[in-house]
Amino acid sequence: MTQLFVERFPDQARLVRLAFFNSFAAFGIGALFGLIQALHRTDVLRIVESPTYYTVLTAHGVFLVITFTIFFLVGLYQWAVTTSLERRPVDMRITKAWYWLMSIGTVIAGITILAGFLDDPPEVLGSQLSADVLFTFYAPLQGNPLFYVGLVLFVVGTWLAGVDWFRTWWAWKGDNPGARIPLPTFMVLTTMIMWYISSIGVAVAILAFILPWSLGLIDSLNPTLTRTLFWYFGHPVVYFWLLPAYLLWYIVLPKLSGGRLFSDPLARVVFILFILLSTPVGIHHQYLDPGIAEGFKYIVMTNTMFLLLPSLLTAFTVVASMEHGARQRGGEGYFGWLDALPWRNPAFTGMALAGLVFAFGGFTGIVNAGMNINYLVHNSAWVPGHIHTQVGTAVALTFMAGSYWLIPQLTGNRLVWRQAALVQVLLWFIGIVFMTNSMYRAGLVGVPRRTAEPQYAFEYDVGVGSMTELDFQLALGGFLLFISAMLFLAIIFMTWRNSESEPIVDGTIPPALSGPEDSPRVLDNLRLWIAIALVLVAIAYVIPLASIVTRGGLFGPDIGPFPVFTDPMILLEYGSKLIGMVVI
Amino acid sequence: MRIHVYERLWLVASMILIVAFIATVTYGTVGLGITMVDDREETLSPGDIDEDERFEDPRIEQVGENEFEAYVVAMTFLFQPDPIEVPANSEVTFYVTSRDVIHSFTVVGTNTNTMVIPGEVSVMTVEFDEPGEYGIICNEYCGVGHHDMEAELIVVEEDEFDLTELSVDAPDTVEPDAEIELTATVSNGLIDDLEATVTVEIGDETFQEDVTVGGDESEDVSITVDADDLGEGDHDWTVTVDDYEETGTVSVASDTDENDDGSENGEDTTDENDASSTVEDRLS
Amino acid sequence: MRISFAKLLLLIAFFIVILVEARTVFAFFGIDVSLIGIAVTGVLVISALVLWAIRPGNDEPTEP
Repeated sequence: MTQLFVERFPDQARLVRLAFFNSFAAFGIGALFGLIQALHRTDVLRIVESPTYYTVLTAHGVFLVITFTIFFLVGLYQWAVTTSLERRPVDMRITKAWYWLMSIGTVIAGITILAGFLDDPPEVLGSQLSADVLFTFYAPLQGNPLFYVGLVLFVVGTWLAGVDWFRTWWAWKGDNPGARIPLPTFMVLTTMIMWYISSIGVAVAILAFILPWSLGLIDSLNPTLTRTLFWYFGHPVVYFWLLPAYLLWYIVLPKLSGGRLFSDPLARVVFILFILLSTPVGIHHQYLDPGIAEGFKYIVMTNTMFLLLPSLLTAFTVVASMEHGARQRGGEGYFGWLDALPWRNPAFTGMALAGLVFAFGGFTGIVNAGMNINYLVHNSAWVPGHIHTQVGTAVALTFMAGSYWLIPQLTGNRLVWRQAALVQVLLWFIGIVFMTNSMYRAGLVGVPRRTAEPQYAFEYDVGVGSMTELDFQLALGGFLLFISAMLFLAIIFMTWRNSESEPIVDGTIPPALSGPEDSPRVLDNLRLWIAIALVLVAIAYVIPLASIVTRGGLFGPDIGPFPVFTDPMILLEYGSKLIGMVVI
Repeated sequence: MRIHVYERLWLVASMILIVAFIATVTYGTVGLGITMVDDREETLSPGDIDEDERFEDPRIEQVGENEFEAYVVAMTFLFQPDPIEVPANSEVTFYVTSRDVIHSFTVVGTNTNTMVIPGEVSVMTVEFDEPGEYGIICNEYCGVGHHDMEAELIVVEEDEFDLTELSVDAPDTVEPDAEIELTATVSNGLIDDLEATVTVEIGDETFQEDVTVGGDESEDVSITVDADDLGEGDHDWTVTVDDYEETGTVSVASDTDENDDGSENGEDTTDENDASSTVEDRLS
Repeated sequence: MRISFAKLLLLIAFFIVILVEARTVFAFFGIDVSLIGIAVTGVLVISALVLWAIRPGNDEPTEP
């Protein structure tokens, strides 16, 4: 057993712990908001006013899919680069800079969102301090400028983190000329390339249009353009959440199963496919948008379907690695080997279940990607069903399970309550099945997403069972997930404080069965893949963007802001306008 | 590059699966001739909606045999018109635009679903085979009252569907020695002729007249009653055409009271009882 | 214990997953099952599973 990570790189372990701390704090808040939503939507318990629901919803989205996932990512990647290259960052000041930029960005955006709970939020930068615009912040809904400033700082922080990791790699390359990039570092670098290419979209949307517009510097913007730029980033960002989970599945899961990674070359191919294909697909979130020609949507649909390939390859490699591990542990037979897997290890069981849910969620994603059936499910509860199986389980459960393996190495403490940890991951699995099953089914009968009260004058035509039953399932699922989340935080907290112990964890990663020497060196030629990715992005986006700008103008056909306030006076104003319209 | 034989098989199977998915989606869109929401309409600034001949008066229009167009405006937090009535066995093309933020126009439980983006006009053509009632909702978060944004879509039997409008022009007050002239205007938005009976009841008197209103035309029916026959006091009148009804009251009174100094011309216009009935007021 | 605690939990979890949508699947084949019916079946099967699991196996010595 080699030395623990915390003993080899104490300062790096501290940084990873800090990143994880931010991540888990956001997770706790986000989970609480999730519970509030699950109970509110289904009308089981409404502890906030329905307009405030959207503050809760915005916070749930931003804290979970931005703060929780991405802080975990930077922590995990810092660990991966450090341990696989066996070296510290070139300049630790940059490392600290990105950590603090991201933290400050989160705090600014977080405060702006949470100020929405106040009865009378203060005026900041010319408008009320609130941002009930959800995590997609579609203009012309307008939040306080600070919300966008916070997001920008956060994203700039992640860019800097990428620079940091690239510099570590360059330094390592100087010392190891001609060596293949170690797989974990390869995954980090390819993820960051994808992130650089894709986050340009949201940066342009915010810096060129939405931020100046929220500050009152420009009067109008083109909502189709900012929306398209958002989704240019909005789909790849899901891979930004997912790829750290892939890293854990490829690097840690085979080892936990008792074996080795099946194929290193295929893992590289998978990550390269993500560089190439994850960006030129964003328009598939806009199948139902006017202002974008059908042909562009069709091109994007085919690209999206090809994105299945890396995930299908992953399914093969991961399952093959698990089977290899199980057979090393004495497993036999076509399916009998499943019995030999280390199910009592929460880190293993959590990741395995996450992978299973991911496979199921992948097929629901194909439904979304099918541009014809998308009409049935677009913006219905089906979509958060899909998100919660993918990000909410494939990613989140893998992160939690991974934490059970990583935290002892980062703290030097033994994991407490191993059986409770096992119960925790199973509880998450059961909770997500209840909740997302209800969401999928409700979505198919037309129940919308993102609404405080999906109860209308008409009745939904639920095929089997009743709406009440589906609501109950959703509420129960949400409750179980909340309990599971709290249990996770408690276990992590207690482990963190369990300093009087010696961890029983082996941090060594065995080499793959089929190593990098089996793959052509061209896979490591990152410049080539960047160039191809840019060409694909240009093919998918130049003409649609040009068309949107020609049609509606860079700053849109005179479209003013629409600040989202929960202020009663303003509500009253809209109310009277509304009544006026009805009378006319 | 060395790839395990099982992995190779899996790779091939995956590619076949992907191509099959693309093929089914292609067939389901191009093959079946289903047109997606796209960029066929010019952009339209929200500020120009009230000047746009399609959207200034959100409504249903007949444009051909069994073909209709619906012009719908979405705004925080309602749809116009509401309810939307269309006949069964028809093909309706919806034109939807937004006055403020991004909404959606979603007929619940169907694939009639589109985003509605300010500055853009969404177009989709829907076939309605059977009568029924549907909820229309906005499924894109549009502000604090998002969850209240809903409307109704009613598909009525083909032979019960009309685009008839009735408006009545009648005085409020007349002198006892004058005549009450009541004019009912029946307009027909359909292409086919409308055969209808206009029934006017005033006081104890009932008048009936059969009219034939041509496609996209309107007809006036006027009746004249001597105020003397009704006597002094308030008299209710009712005009009925098919299911549409307009009511009002006319007062027969000598002009001696406080109205003395009122200008005759002014009264002529301000006292006009100008009721109009559209689909919204329909009785049923 | 015939199977480990971990595997018992896992089996229960998977059984619950099947239970959640069992009615829909049955209804697809024209068999209507009431909600209570499914719940009772679930409780019975899970109890049976637990009882089976905690009873000592034939080929293993009874744990102290």
